[in-house]
Amino acid sequence: MPQSGRDGGSSKDSKYDLSKISARVDRVNVSGLLRTHNDYVMRAADGLFKANNFQDLMLEAMSTKSYLHDLGIFKDVSVHIDVSRGSDATPQGYEVTFKGNEMSRMMGSAGTEIGQNEGSLRTELTIPNILGRGESISLQGSYSSTRANDLQLKFWKPFFHTRFRENRPELSFSIFRQTDKFDISSFQTTNLGYLVDFSAHTMVGVDLTHSLQYENSIRDLGLLNKSVPFAIRDHCGPKLASLLRYSVLYDNRDSNVFPTRGIYLKSVNEYCGLGGNIAYTSSTAHGEVNVPLFAGLVAQFCGRVGVVKETKNTTQLPINSLFYCGGPLTLRGFKFGGAGPVIDGTPIGAQTFWCTGAHLWAPLPFAGVFKNLASHFRMHFFYNIGNCNNFSTENMRSAFGMGLAVKLAERARIELNYCVPVRRQTTDKVLNGFQFGIGYEFV
Amino acid sequence: MTSQFLSQLHTADKLAAEPWSEDATLYQPYEAEQILLPENASCLAVKAYLKMCNLPFGIRSCANAEHMSPGGRMTKLPFIRAGAFIFAEFEPIVNFVEQKDLAIGSWQDEDEKADMRTYVSLVENIFTMAELYISFKNERVYKEVTAPRNGVVFPWPLNHMQNYGKRRNALRLLKVYQWDDLDIDSVIEKVAKCCETLEYKLKESPETPFFYGDQPCELDAIAFGHLFSILTTTLPNMALAQTVQKFKHLVEFCRFVDEKYFQTRFL
Repeated sequence: MPQSGRDGGSSKDSKYDLSKISARVDRVNVSGLLRTHNDYVMRAADGLFKANNFQDLMLEAMSTKSYLHDLGIFKDVSVHIDVSRGSDATPQGYEVTFKGNEMSRMMGSAGTEIGQNEGSLRTELTIPNILGRGESISLQGSYSSTRANDLQLKFWKPFFHTRFRENRPELSFSIFRQTDKFDISSFQTTNLGYLVDFSAHTMVGVDLTHSLQYENSIRDLGLLNKSVPFAIRDHCGPKLASLLRYSVLYDNRDSNVFPTRGIYLKSVNEYCGLGGNIAYTSSTAHGEVNVPLFAGLVAQFCGRVGVVKETKNTTQLPINSLFYCGGPLTLRGFKFGGAGPVIDGTPIGAQTFWCTGAHLWAPLPFAGVFKNLASHFRMHFFYNIGNCNNFSTENMRSAFGMGLAVKLAERARIELNYCVPVRRQTTDKVLNGFQFGIGYEFV
Repeated sequence: MTSQFLSQLHTADKLAAEPWSEDATLYQPYEAEQILLPENASCLAVKAYLKMCNLPFGIRSCANAEHMSPGGRMTKLPFIRAGAFIFAEFEPIVNFVEQKDLAIGSWQDEDEKADMRTYVSLVENIFTMAELYISFKNERVYKEVTAPRNGVVFPWPLNHMQNYGKRRNALRLLKVYQWDDLDIDSVIEKVAKCCETLEYKLKESPETPFFYGDQPCELDAIAFGHLFSILTTTLPNMALAQTVQKFKHLVEFCRFVDEKYFQTRFL
């Protein structure tokens, strides 16, 4: 955040105290605007003109640079600060010039992406800044052999240049087609539809990220093999879903993957049944608390709760909106979806579930020797408890174990754990031994 | 993975071993609002067959019956659930019943059976195609009956997408059987020819009510299913019904089977 740097500006030790040198910004130039409208970068200079000493000026220039980056129009930006010249120049006047290099008309990328418990191949084609105010279109396709296929055409428009720049409002519209395979329950769903998303930050007391979405989609459920229990077969066929989704996020951790302190909270609420023939409400909440201990050890407590409820229009709760409990991301030591209700030996998803996890994270022994490499690795001991369709602690499932985790690109992590299930139900599919997990939101 | 053949063999063993399950259920679309002519015909054929076999079964109407079906050659409907088994369409269901030695027509010898099978497949192909043709290829019937009925269980705009998909599949099937470039007169000609063959067969044993003597067989069930559906379904284009109506013996046969097994007295 731009403000944070200014408070801690400690130039006391240096030879020259820059904050004592008074300065005034006379002019701010932003060059390199070819396709972008001028008004889109107008607010970039707001902070600069308020600076009254040289240190402020430098910090403001830096934050303006990052603001220009966030606008999504420049590939790179460089800053030049010069004394101002000319007839209208003031004695302590400075002139700040930002030289931007606009993004090319079209950008393509290909790579791998980490989803929840799957890796996938992703390709993306983006046309940035088509209308000159940051509006962009992207076509995205991702393919994974295990679970999901995705195709998405997205148009988005940021409103960072308006007077709500601190709130970072952004509006997007996307058309998507998404295939999800639920191998354990022998069905797959194909969603085809569109999504309107509005997201913004609020900073009333705490910094929250909100996102309000409207989704209208056709959800077609098909079977993956012939012998499928009738409880699942009943759900076959296409249905029209029309839903509102509101999610809110709070994150003050110091790192996404291996945080040492901070809290992460996320809640997603759906109301489905504004037209269409699927009706339900669904809420999930995920929380994570990190507490630093001594010698690099970190205690982490995670929890997740989910509830799907009927509304008064519900005829049948859609099976693809139910929760699957168990697996490396929720209850380690169980197979994916293996800790939930079953019908004829096939997991069918639960209406409610909760699970918690307690971790003790430790750096690898001798981590000091390979500092760079070792920062990507952690060891952990964990204990998971959870249950489905039942909020009491009777008949719950639990497992403990230890393992090694690797950080992937500041976003995801890979875990290899040795798990020992402790409490289980007779119908559960447990995995006593090594389990592999990949994802970005673990319990 | 065990081989397909082994698992089929295993299934066949289990099929023969288990008695007819009491809670056998026939799944079909809603008769009043949803079902289309070809589907109605094949559902009625299966119901007639099971009633002729004197096997108890329940009927469940559900909007997504077609999507629940394990699949089939033509309409995918109806499908029957008996114990752990699911079979769709007339022929697989008949084969399933025959493996349990509960079937009618066990009195027939091999030759007669082969002969009868020929008729069954003739009736099924000609009538199903004609029904599909009139439902999807005739613009008026499609607009006034087929599309509204097929889409009734889906909210807008899903109904239009489903109608489009269903019509495309039907036309594809017609193309496979080379019915797509026929005009309505050639269709009627084909149907008339099939009816003629059936009536001739029926007249071979004039004193008995069924195609093969005193007892019903598969042919009776499937012929009844299609003829009765065509006769009793009101469409903007009644060409098929009028064609069948010309064959008095067949109409009489339908009335008799309806009286004996269903008592709807629509005719």
